[in-house]
Amino acid sequence: MAGISAALDLAGNGHRVHLVEKGHDLGGQVAKLDKFYPTDHCAFCPLWTEIRRCKEDEAIAVHPLSRVDTLEQQPAGYRAVVVHSAPVVDPSLCINCGRCETACPKGVAKPIGEHSYPPVHVIEGHRCGDCRACVEVCPTKAIAFDREEQRIALDADEVIWAAGFDEVSLAPMKEYGWGTHPDILTSLEFEAWKAEAGDNRGKIIRRSDRAVPRSILFVQCAGARDLRLLPHCSAVCCMHALKQAQWVKRRNPDIDCVILYTDLRTVGRDYYEYALRDFNGNGVRLVRGRSSLITPLPGGNGIAVKYEDTLTGKREIRQFDMVVLNGNLQSSLASKPAPKARPELSGEGFVTAASVSCGFVMEPADVTESAIQAASAALRTITDKN
Amino acid sequence: MAKIGVILCNCFGEIGNTVNLESIRERLASDPSVDFVILRESLCQPGDASAVHAMIRDRGIGKVLLGACSPYGRMEVVRLGLAKEGVDVRTVRAADLREGCAWIHGKDPGGATRKAANQLDMELALLQNMQDSKDVDIRVRHEALVIGAGPAGLSAACGLARMGIRVHLVDRGTAPGGLLNVVTKVYPTELSGPEKLKPLVEMTGGNPLIRFYGKTKVASVKGYAGDFKIVLAGPEGSANLRVGAVVLATGARLLFPQGLYGYGKTKNVITQMEMERQFATGNVACKTAVFIQCVGARCAERPYCSTICCPLSLKNAMRVLDEVPGSKAVILHRDIMTPGSVLEAYYRKALHRGVQFIRFDADRPPEIRADGQVSGVEVFDVLSGVTRSIETDLLVLSTPLVADPESAALARMLEIPVDKHGFIAEVYPVHPVETRNDGVFICGTARWPVSSDQAIAQGEAAAVKAASFLRKETASALSMSRVPGSKLGHAQANADACTGCGNCVAVCPYRACKLQRVGQRSVSRVIKVRCKACGSCAAVCPNGAMQIPEQNYKVTGAMIRRAFREVR
Repeated sequence: MAGISAALDLAGNGHRVHLVEKGHDLGGQVAKLDKFYPTDHCAFCPLWTEIRRCKEDEAIAVHPLSRVDTLEQQPAGYRAVVVHSAPVVDPSLCINCGRCETACPKGVAKPIGEHSYPPVHVIEGHRCGDCRACVEVCPTKAIAFDREEQRIALDADEVIWAAGFDEVSLAPMKEYGWGTHPDILTSLEFEAWKAEAGDNRGKIIRRSDRAVPRSILFVQCAGARDLRLLPHCSAVCCMHALKQAQWVKRRNPDIDCVILYTDLRTVGRDYYEYALRDFNGNGVRLVRGRSSLITPLPGGNGIAVKYEDTLTGKREIRQFDMVVLNGNLQSSLASKPAPKARPELSGEGFVTAASVSCGFVMEPADVTESAIQAASAALRTITDKN
Repeated sequence: MAKIGVILCNCFGEIGNTVNLESIRERLASDPSVDFVILRESLCQPGDASAVHAMIRDRGIGKVLLGACSPYGRMEVVRLGLAKEGVDVRTVRAADLREGCAWIHGKDPGGATRKAANQLDMELALLQNMQDSKDVDIRVRHEALVIGAGPAGLSAACGLARMGIRVHLVDRGTAPGGLLNVVTKVYPTELSGPEKLKPLVEMTGGNPLIRFYGKTKVASVKGYAGDFKIVLAGPEGSANLRVGAVVLATGARLLFPQGLYGYGKTKNVITQMEMERQFATGNVACKTAVFIQCVGARCAERPYCSTICCPLSLKNAMRVLDEVPGSKAVILHRDIMTPGSVLEAYYRKALHRGVQFIRFDADRPPEIRADGQVSGVEVFDVLSGVTRSIETDLLVLSTPLVADPESAALARMLEIPVDKHGFIAEVYPVHPVETRNDGVFICGTARWPVSSDQAIAQGEAAAVKAASFLRKETASALSMSRVPGSKLGHAQANADACTGCGNCVAVCPYRACKLQRVGQRSVSRVIKVRCKACGSCAAVCPNGAMQIPEQNYKVTGAMIRRAFREVR
């Protein structure tokens, strides 16, 4: 969202923009969201509108499925070498007819499981049996196994970093139990799992056995505000958990929802009242505390969680059917392995003021903050050059 | 009537294997308004758009009907391709024959064909009956008015000037700076408020594109994006301006905690602003400073978090420890609101520095012991479950930013909404500095409580958005749209049919409908640059006087009649 906004603001002021995106389509992490807080509107339409504006704008060249390989400062501006990856299925030709899927004996040709408009099929080349049946049946000749990556050089006056965030694996922090049970999910995994436009059509069910859960625990600050992993507060998670828990309650009031939080950070417009809706009886329970252990119970009996309710001082061991972990978000430029081309980063992996950046790579930010930072970055980019 | 060309896409059999395109072709070709019907294998593959464009051009076709896929299929690719070829996509309509007919009714080819024919018929009826909204061009005035010269307004004014736009910067005070002028140290930096604003204030004074009007208010606003007519009231009388855009950056006030925790009758109970003044004069003297958070905030009366009070207390608590040797600082809070990396690090710094934090429950607020002068605070520490008694000689109340009534009055003048707390509302979270009234932008604490850094970023954001509009020579009413492409059209009022009931004025979300006196009557008029063609006015007009020509009641009626032709 930050990159899209910055590109639109630059183009709107008469500048040409190259928008480099690693995914199939623009949209980044926001494209994975089902709903926006605090309006509870679908996230897709506003995002799609902005994406459309980008694609329509002749001043914006969109480079999907691409990455910046090298970036050199030159006497005037920068030269970037951008690598366009070579997908087996060319998304600009694929009509999503699914004939490759029917023809493939190995089941590696499938509809894309992520945000992409228009929707396309993808083929995981490394698991392919090389029979080429798909190439034969594809009516648009979109499938080719011998495409090569293209490297192109782009010259630009200025670079804006808007690479967003990644989830950090919680596997090393064993007390969260992530990866030990299908019903222990990260918040983004849960967002996709419960999405109305997702595979489950908005039904709230367990991943382990597709049964309706009786209870869901949302654990805040998982991996975040924690000097062992991420010292920062990821800023978006409190509202994100409130949004998800309230949504679950609205879909199925019988599911017991508990949010285990440290500080309930609700600083934006209407955010605190959004949280208040909970206290006023729709049944999401807010418990202040941190879990010390999350572990699956044997025999499919759900997940045991050990925590202290720090407001009552009671130590609890409770069983939940699902656990959603919130907080493990970091600047995507800090992820391992480090990309070859990257700006100067702070100790926590955020882009320093030495480079122009916006969105989560600059500082944890939600959609609203990202859009503001993006416009501000666009202004600095334009006027610093003049 | 413009000739209509129909192009049906086979989609490599995805459509044609189920839907009988040949029978549809014959049916449509018999319609007198249809110039040709062509079957194509595809519309979205390389070269298709230019082939279609050539066909439209060569045959002199005014309107195009496509039978292809869903807008969420590849129709977006087709439309983008045609637009890039220079085709006016407002005259292109498409029926969804693939996802909506062939795919979902794959087992019933007859039904799929009937549904496809019906959808095409309806779109054809639309094309046959649609009329064009007459576009109007407005001349854009390349000047802007910025109201309020605090961090947000200064940043907006300087941003606009850096983009080469002439700015009129108005403030009710004598000098720029706003609330930040009294802040002696802006978190999380070591700079004072005036030091932080120095580059902006200097630019305001030295840049020939910026004119500062001190002790000046906005008396009236008329007009719309591109051409606002403004009257200012200042010490030297009134001034008339014509500007293309307005940035509202009037800021907010801090709540005065009269009657709370003995404020007003107890010595040594002060607000954060009074504490800033004490720091400025070097008069801070205390053994133990106690800060109480959320005083008058996150309560029934003001159910919101004011964003800045937690970091403000962190800063002032650390300052007490730094400047008063041997002192203690205690923050009584309900949640520490330091989202992000910078503020969370600042919180950790305060913890390391020795600031003590005690969490209290909103239902059990701290109680003070005072006898003309505060001597102690009793607070139930919810984390350890005990009541703590703290000896104190300085109690600092963290009160929230509250909306300035003057901002709400300005918002009414600018025809933009305020939220229930009195802060100015943006159009949507994705467009945080834009308002419902195009050409009016908002930033800073008039919008919502934010830090000075955020206010400055919002000012820059407002500047860049305003500049992208102000750089145009003219703006056409049809281009004033937030959705991609140009908008559908705009509403037109038929003065003969209008009875002046005002329904349209009440429902228009963009304040585009206005009642105007014509002779003895009052009739509705549409400000076309504001209209977004939502159709609300047409829906509530009892006389059919409000219509969008592209999709008026004749068009809709024709579509419905065509759809039910067989049934009837």
